Amino acid sequence: MPTRITDDAFEFLIARAGLTLTDAEKAELKTVCDGIAAMAERVRKPRGIMAEPALTYGFAEEDL
Amino acid sequence: MGAAIPTIAEAARQIAAKELSPVELTRACLDRVHALDNKLHAFIHLTEERALADARAAEAAIMAGGPSGPLHGIPIGLKDIVDTRGIPTTCQSKLLHDNIPDTDATCAARLAAAGTVLIGKTTTHEFADGGPSFDLPRPPARNPWNTGHFTAGSSSGTGAGVAAGMILCGIGTDTGGSIRGPAALCGIAGLKPTYGLVSRAGVAPAAFTLDHIGPMAWTAEDCAIMLQALAGHDPRDPASADRAVPDYTRALGGGIKGVRIGVIHHFHETDHKVSDGTQRGITAAIATFRELGAEIREVQLSPLQDWAACGSLISITERAAAYEEWARTRLADFGERVRSRLMLGAFVSGVDYVQAVRRRRELRAELKAAMADLDIVLTAVQPGEAPKIDAVPKWDVFQQPSFMMPFNVAGYPAMSICSGYGEGGLPVAIQLVGKPFQEATVLRIADAFEKATPFRDRRPGIA
Repeated sequence: MPTRITDDAFEFLIARAGLTLTDAEKAELKTVCDGIAAMAERVRKPRGIMAEPALTYGFAEEDL
Repeated sequence: MGAAIPTIAEAARQIAAKELSPVELTRACLDRVHALDNKLHAFIHLTEERALADARAAEAAIMAGGPSGPLHGIPIGLKDIVDTRGIPTTCQSKLLHDNIPDTDATCAARLAAAGTVLIGKTTTHEFADGGPSFDLPRPPARNPWNTGHFTAGSSSGTGAGVAAGMILCGIGTDTGGSIRGPAALCGIAGLKPTYGLVSRAGVAPAAFTLDHIGPMAWTAEDCAIMLQALAGHDPRDPASADRAVPDYTRALGGGIKGVRIGVIHHFHETDHKVSDGTQRGITAAIATFRELGAEIREVQLSPLQDWAACGSLISITERAAAYEEWARTRLADFGERVRSRLMLGAFVSGVDYVQAVRRRRELRAELKAAMADLDIVLTAVQPGEAPKIDAVPKWDVFQQPSFMMPFNVAGYPAMSICSGYGEGGLPVAIQLVGKPFQEATVLRIADAFEKATPFRDRRPGIA
């Protein structure tokens, strides 16, 4: 499981995003940060350095 | 009462035979809007005068030279994130309360060119996200099968409007299920086409690489008629596919003997177990397909949670990027649910996003391999019947992996059709997923199912 976000890290990320939140919004947001982190863990698989991303737009021939 | 609401195909035949007047049809739809919309809230903005003028023009043209096609004189709705020239397009948001576009979205222009009659702009979740919300400029749409229940979203008004017969069809948009979800809970048909088949130009973005535009109507046949008008290359959309458009309606009615259907049992039986009513609908649908001559197999994919995580990370990030300027300067003007979702973008790193897009490529390849010897795959659309409108969790993205998001991640065509009625008489649905640009196959199988079952004969009592 990913490490729980610290208060300092939380405040840094909110500030970096340029968001101005109320204390209530911050408190609620903290309850779902772990869910984001879990999703980020889930998309990480052993794939090596050569694994490409999907095309942003449309299908390559290999997809069809 | 339900018999009084024709499908597009029925209305087109009657209009061509001069047995039905587009003006009478439009007036009948407007009468339903006036009678029902104070309960259903399917519309944000009505275009009654324009509708009647367009209907009269259609009628004159049809009397003079016959209909230009099956959509000539057909009343429609456009989701209120679709730009319409000279007509308010608010995205159900305070931020755009006075927005009047000076050009039509491509999908709006194509439907207008096909001779449709615009009844109005249909209710959406704010910028096609979140919902149901009670702090937006207009109230959320309600389910015609029971107004105490949710329509799903975000194409909520189109779903409610079609089911109640206020419009014969409409435009929905789908980033993680916003066509198929409301189609399922409102008991209609909704098709998310292949990514790039229908232009996104002029439609407010939710997540650029997951956004799809598509038809919502009472039947698969009607979706085919709509798709014929909507599909095709558009240089205004950088993701638009430059491919020939097949004849979607000609493929219908040929039977489905020998069609190969793969059922992703683990999605709806293990990964996210559906309600008893939904499972009964799926089981009965599989039996119907067998009786129609289809070959049924089982398909195994990565867990639903993997697909949902991939799609959610992409969706959260792309949405946060699209709306970043407003999030920084006017966050309080968003409704609470969208405001909260926009905040999530702060917690997805650039590396997280790229890993999600790499995962996307793997998942798409996995689906392609799984479907190599199949024509379509089948799973659930929604976990159950429509929930009560005041009992929809705000953070369902973390609690309930979506059955629909996998096919936004893959970009494959996916359709919701009604498979019966569950608890409380509320509709349940199945999802049929085809290979890229094989909408004709999906529509043919959906049409065969609808014609072999009685579910299209029943409209909500309110209609």
